[in-house]
Amino acid sequence: MFDVSLVLSGQFRGWLLSGFVTSLQLTGLTLVLALPLATALALLRLAPSGVLRWLGFGLVEGVRSVPLLVHLLFWYFGAAELLPGPARQWLYAHDAEAACAVVALTLYTAAFMSEDIRSGIRAVPATQLEAGRALGFGFLATMRRVVLPQALHITVPPLISQTLNLWKNTSVATVIGTAELMYQAQKVETASFRGFETFVVATVAYLAVSLVITALAAAYHHRYPPRTA
Amino acid sequence: MHIRAKALATSLIAASLITTTLAARADQLDDIKKKGELVVGVLGTDEPNSFIDPKTREIVGYEVDLASAVAKKLGVKLTLKQLAVAARIPELQQGRVDLLAASLTHNKEREQVIDFSLTSFVTGQKVLVRKDSGITQLSQLGGKKVVTIKGGTQEPNIRKAVPGVDVVTFETGPQAFQALQQGKGVGFVNDEVSLIDDYAKLGPQQKDYAILPQNISVEPLALGIRKGEKTLKAAVDGTLRELEKSGDAEKLFFKWYGPGSRLKFPSRSFKIESDKVES
Amino acid sequence: MSFAELIDTYWLYFLVGQYPKGPLGGLALTVLLGALALVLAFPLGVLFGLARVAPQRWLRWPVTALVYAVRGTPLLMVVFWAYFFLPSVTGHKTDQFSTMLAALVVFDGAYIAEIVRAGIQGLPKGQMECARSLGFSYAAAMRTVILPQATRHMLPSLVNQFVSTLKETSLGYIIGLSEVSFIASQINTQVLTRPTEVYLILGGTYFVLCFGLSRLAYAVEARQRRRLAPAKAFS
Repeated sequence: MFDVSLVLSGQFRGWLLSGFVTSLQLTGLTLVLALPLATALALLRLAPSGVLRWLGFGLVEGVRSVPLLVHLLFWYFGAAELLPGPARQWLYAHDAEAACAVVALTLYTAAFMSEDIRSGIRAVPATQLEAGRALGFGFLATMRRVVLPQALHITVPPLISQTLNLWKNTSVATVIGTAELMYQAQKVETASFRGFETFVVATVAYLAVSLVITALAAAYHHRYPPRTA
Repeated sequence: MHIRAKALATSLIAASLITTTLAARADQLDDIKKKGELVVGVLGTDEPNSFIDPKTREIVGYEVDLASAVAKKLGVKLTLKQLAVAARIPELQQGRVDLLAASLTHNKEREQVIDFSLTSFVTGQKVLVRKDSGITQLSQLGGKKVVTIKGGTQEPNIRKAVPGVDVVTFETGPQAFQALQQGKGVGFVNDEVSLIDDYAKLGPQQKDYAILPQNISVEPLALGIRKGEKTLKAAVDGTLRELEKSGDAEKLFFKWYGPGSRLKFPSRSFKIESDKVES
Repeated sequence: MSFAELIDTYWLYFLVGQYPKGPLGGLALTVLLGALALVLAFPLGVLFGLARVAPQRWLRWPVTALVYAVRGTPLLMVVFWAYFFLPSVTGHKTDQFSTMLAALVVFDGAYIAEIVRAGIQGLPKGQMECARSLGFSYAAAMRTVILPQATRHMLPSLVNQFVSTLKETSLGYIIGLSEVSFIASQINTQVLTRPTEVYLILGGTYFVLCFGLSRLAYAVEARQRRRLAPAKAFS
């Protein structure tokens, strides 16, 4: 009765594998784009100017309070339509589903990561920032040369945790037709009538990468234990 | 070790529970009469088979009326349950609904897992294309992107008809139709009737769209019944035959598909009489 | 259809779905589902959390494995598991609401387990040692000394978890549960020409709900920091 080999052969295997690769690609690309954005948002929230701080607060809270599903639907069915004609047509002719998924995932992940980065920066003693300013560095320069490198060490574990969330979040992109692992698993399930086997395989695939990410966090914690002041 | 043993045990328990539950089930028709309720799975998103009337917020449609007739004949209350396309057959198999009236295509492959009533509607699957794509023939879809619904027969059918086609699927018909409208695909694959309804909804934009004449499949739609429930099937078929004989079946067709509706079918090309299918 | 017409025609459907002419849906269902899921997940999470810190290995290891497995799986996958296989395993018929509820309870239970674990382990070790030396058994010490204190510390995290749970209910969309995101999409596809507006309204609704709650968590946390400041040995 339980026969995984059917789902792991021929056409079905190809579909599942391509979905797995797409999920990994979505994760990687989003990570590359979200980290700088998250850093910018964190700095925005710590800026000397009140207006900038409120802007950062609004953006982060606005994005964090809305489910990822809604972000995906908004960008794909709503915002994409607002692009000017030629840009829109170019987007639709190429992989609009994946592109909108990356946009939604990047904003969503960056909003959460920015909070972790902000905590990391705040954990660096304020005297570091003051010293940097006293030496004549501007706010941004001090951040870049003095504070952020120190903050990074504290921030890595929560960022790895957010990466784990990102990996799992890619599964929601199935609702806008992005051909990642969950989408392909649904396709295989319909075509093979073998839901149990298909979902076992897909679950194992998700767990495998999740465990790798968790192991990475443990290794980092082991190698660079949190320093006490 | 712990995890692997647990997974194996769970799957064994699940497998044995599935087989014993299926074997030990009493006659479903008796259960329905005892319960006093017929639970029917519908899509609720496929006008005019089953859809939500925005004014009354109730689910109405051609198949809903057929289901009502069956419930009336059995002397029980009708309860409608809205399902996703991909969930129709699993929900029926697991006994979470008694009957399916959910734009369900009757084909030989599905006959292995569920039973079907007499064919209640015959349609084909076609492709609704955007005229600005310049596509007039099915074969021209090769290498192009089409949209359709997850979990149905549309995707396998279009891939069989046009091997090089690129397919993107969405959760519901209306969502896929919107994707077509927005230009995210050049064609929308669906049952002919649903396409005609969507085409009619376009109003002035109709000049920008066309339904390709070729059928990519013939779709006999029928009500879905759990495998082996002979008495229920007899009751459902009996109701359908009565409707056909009295002329009510044709009246229902014209109510939802006839000249007075958005679809404007001039006549009905089939009769509710048989449950045999070609493929 | 103008924006005003959009709101005017669909506001009731958006808020309560088909009720009373059908099952409850919309925003009301989202809040109900979220609240119920959290209420049921909490005791489960406490049980798991206690098992995670238990001295007995046969208790700690399987639960740890389960928690890691659930937290490493996307919620959508857990939903599909519940949807397709819950009835077979329990022998009971389940509808979309129950399925989503079950998935959320299991998923959030695993997360609450970690909140409970952190809460318990965040207390000074002295508390447990004190209680044991006074003659309390492990279980009694947990019940009367550790958990009450830990729960107060956990409160902000739990409110944040509620916010997460409310957002997670949106995945009911994929199994056809008529929660607010599904209803909004149905409205969107009926109207067809105003997707941006519909999804902005949907996002705005979640924002008001979730942001409001996280402000509440923040206020609770701020109040706690003042109340629970460690007692000074000498005043």
